[in-house]
Amino acid sequence: MTESPTATTWEPKILAFLCNWCSYAGADLAGTSRFQYPPNVRVIRVPCSGRVNPIFIVEALHHGADGVLVSGCHPGDCHYLVGNYFARRRFALLQRYLEYLGIEKGRVQFSWVSASEGARFAEVVTKVTDDIKKLGPSRRLNINVTRGATPAALNQEPEFEAR
Amino acid sequence: MSALPKAVQETIAGWLSSGAIEVFIGYERGPVPLRATPVFVRRPEDVVRLIWDASCENNLVAFLSKLRGKKVGLMVKGCDSRAVIGLLQEGQVIRENLRLVGVSCPGVVDPKKVAAKLAVNVDDLEDAHLNGAQTLLMGGQCMAIGEVIYDLCRDCVHHNPALSDLQMGEAIADPAADPYEHVREIESLSTEERWARFEREVQHCNLCYACRNACPLCYCNTCFADRTMPRWFSQTAQPEDVQFFQTIRTFHLSGRCVGCGACTRACPQGVNLRSLLDKLRLDVLELYNYEAGSDPNARPPLTTYREDDYNGFVM
Repeated sequence: MTESPTATTWEPKILAFLCNWCSYAGADLAGTSRFQYPPNVRVIRVPCSGRVNPIFIVEALHHGADGVLVSGCHPGDCHYLVGNYFARRRFALLQRYLEYLGIEKGRVQFSWVSASEGARFAEVVTKVTDDIKKLGPSRRLNINVTRGATPAALNQEPEFEAR
Repeated sequence: MSALPKAVQETIAGWLSSGAIEVFIGYERGPVPLRATPVFVRRPEDVVRLIWDASCENNLVAFLSKLRGKKVGLMVKGCDSRAVIGLLQEGQVIRENLRLVGVSCPGVVDPKKVAAKLAVNVDDLEDAHLNGAQTLLMGGQCMAIGEVIYDLCRDCVHHNPALSDLQMGEAIADPAADPYEHVREIESLSTEERWARFEREVQHCNLCYACRNACPLCYCNTCFADRTMPRWFSQTAQPEDVQFFQTIRTFHLSGRCVGCGACTRACPQGVNLRSLLDKLRLDVLELYNYEAGSDPNARPPLTTYREDDYNGFVM
């Protein structure tokens, strides 16, 4: 593992897809309530966890995210009534499938966090970050590995292409 | 090689002359040994060209999505008929426009296995030919067809068509075997071993997309692989791009793949795609008690939900 960043300098980059109505508001509450949580998550706000196409998750790993968190409203509390029920079926299959392919357990995690659960949001992020720190940098499916990115480059913010 | 029974030929000719169908897609003898070629029959007198034997491996249902709105007749094996059900469920074809000749299939011949058995190159099978329904001849050697059928056919539990207008030949008893044994073997490996296996399995893929084109259910007008806005992965066939493509294409078939094996047979690089797709089929069966291609009126599992669905994966 000589080419991977050392434990002291490496911080995981975790992409979080948060639903606008629950988890994003939960993250907001965590902030206004001054709950401490690791700064490793980069948040993408989505209208509903049902908006998260499984390709987004795999694409995140493909482009070098060390972990992915998807969080939405608790089942039964979806702003669109049933969006997270459909999402749950897809995610259950995806998570099992990625593990079957050999992506480490814990790279891709799912949670339900409501708008009133600021403390819970901080807890979830802490746990996901800890899990991914234990796993180390993500190398599977990651294009940066064979494209010769240096450890320093791996630890920098990627430049996103305009799409 | 054996022509279709007279009665079946007459029925197909009748469909063609009455206008019930515009074209009948079946198999005819092709230039490649041990592989029949798909044929499009448009005139009633051409039905004599049609054959059925253990070399008829193509899943002809893949043509249906290119013939949307047309009245089509089709020869379907057990697995193929299940793909028709998938297309019916998804509204891609209309039952009234189809005329299906169902045939119970004991398995189709894998030329690679024949070549391996004779220790010759797969391109050197010119003399090989089927000798009736049970045996195959090649240079004086005779072997049982049952020994050289695809692994998929060996594990098949759906030999008989689930849907047809005309059944040709006798039904075959389906064995009570576990078709997912190879998946459970992979599941029992460690994460590292599974990843090594996946890497090794897809390493020869060169993104030719034969799997996608052969798949009866891969009918998207624009595949994610062809999109440029956004371009999900680069087309350079680097390992991670290939892994990405295979992960997503197979995942798109979750709850839809009927396990016909058309992708695996079409792959020129010998990637065992079945080892990926069968995992999804097994999970759909375990989590949602659903098997694709069984009931045209059932809702595919990812288009519906239950409040008490499996939630154990959520932290």
